[in-house]
Amino acid sequence: MLKPSVLTWILVIFGLVFIFVPMVYVQFNVAVNPNSQQTKDMIIGRGEDYRDKTHVRVSYGIALSDLIFWLPLLAAGSIGVILGRIWGYILWGVSGAISVYISIILLFTEREYVYPSVGPLVYYTIFWGFFVYWGVATIAYATLRLSDAKL
Amino acid sequence: MFQKQVGPYPLGIWIVFIVLLAVFLGWGMQAYSLLNWDGAVDIGFQNERFTGDAVERAWAHESWSVALVDVLWPLPIGIVAIVGLLRKRLFGFAAGLMEFAITVYFPLVFAFQRWTTYRSTALVALFLWAIPSFVGIICLWVNRKSFTQ
Repeated sequence: MLKPSVLTWILVIFGLVFIFVPMVYVQFNVAVNPNSQQTKDMIIGRGEDYRDKTHVRVSYGIALSDLIFWLPLLAAGSIGVILGRIWGYILWGVSGAISVYISIILLFTEREYVYPSVGPLVYYTIFWGFFVYWGVATIAYATLRLSDAKL
Repeated sequence: MFQKQVGPYPLGIWIVFIVLLAVFLGWGMQAYSLLNWDGAVDIGFQNERFTGDAVERAWAHESWSVALVDVLWPLPIGIVAIVGLLRKRLFGFAAGLMEFAITVYFPLVFAFQRWTTYRSTALVALFLWAIPSFVGIICLWVNRKSFTQ
C-alpha cells in the first residue's frame, strides 16, 4: 500500500484536467469526425486545415490508439495510485513513457506547422508541453515511490 | 506455465528476452534507416522515399521522425530493461513494461494510419511487435515477484 501524498494528488488532478479529459474529447472528435472544422480547430489551430491526406491519417491513427490503449492505461493508473496500489504506479510509469514517446514524435512531425499558429505559450503548455512534463513527472515519481515498494 | 523455472529465470522471463530481441531488431532497423534510408526502403523496412511525390515525401518525413524517436527513447529504455531483467531488479521489470507498452502502442498507431495503403507492413508490425509485446507484458506481470529492489 502506497498512501497517496500531496504530490500524488497534484499529478492525478493535473493529469485529469490537462491530459485525460481534453484528450478524450479531442481524440473522440478526431476518431468520429476528423474532417470537421471543429476538430481541425482543436488539433491544428483555429481556421487551419490539414496539410494533406497523410496528416489526416496520422491524426486518425494516433486518436484511435490513444482511445483504446493510452488513455485507458492513464485512467487505470490514476485510479490505482488513488487506491495506493503498486500497479497504479506501474501503469502511471507506462502511460508516462507513451506520453513522452508520442510527444517527441509530434515535436519532429508537427511543431513546424502547429507552433506558428498557436504561439510559444500555448504550444509549450496545453498543446504539447504538458504531455511531456506530465509524462516525465509520472515516470520519475512512480520510480521513486516503487523504489520503496515490495511487489 | 510462465512461472516454471528454466535455468536461472522463469519461462516467462525467457519469453520476455526473446520478445525484447525482436523489438531490438526493430530498433536496429530504425537506426539503419536513419543511416541509409533508401537501403531500408529497398529491403522493405520503410515504405516511402524522400524522392517521391508530395504525399510520399510527407509519409517519409513522418517515418523518419518515428525512426529517430525510436532510437532516442524506446531503445535506451530497452537497454535498461535487459540489464535490469538479467539482474532480476525491479527497474528492469518497470522498464520492460514501459518498453512493451510503447511497442504495443505504436504498431497500433501505424496500423490505423496505413491499413488501407500498406496493410502487409501493418500486419508485420502487429504480429512481430504488438502481439509479442502484449504477451511480454503478461509474462512480466505473472513473474513480478521475481524482482527485487
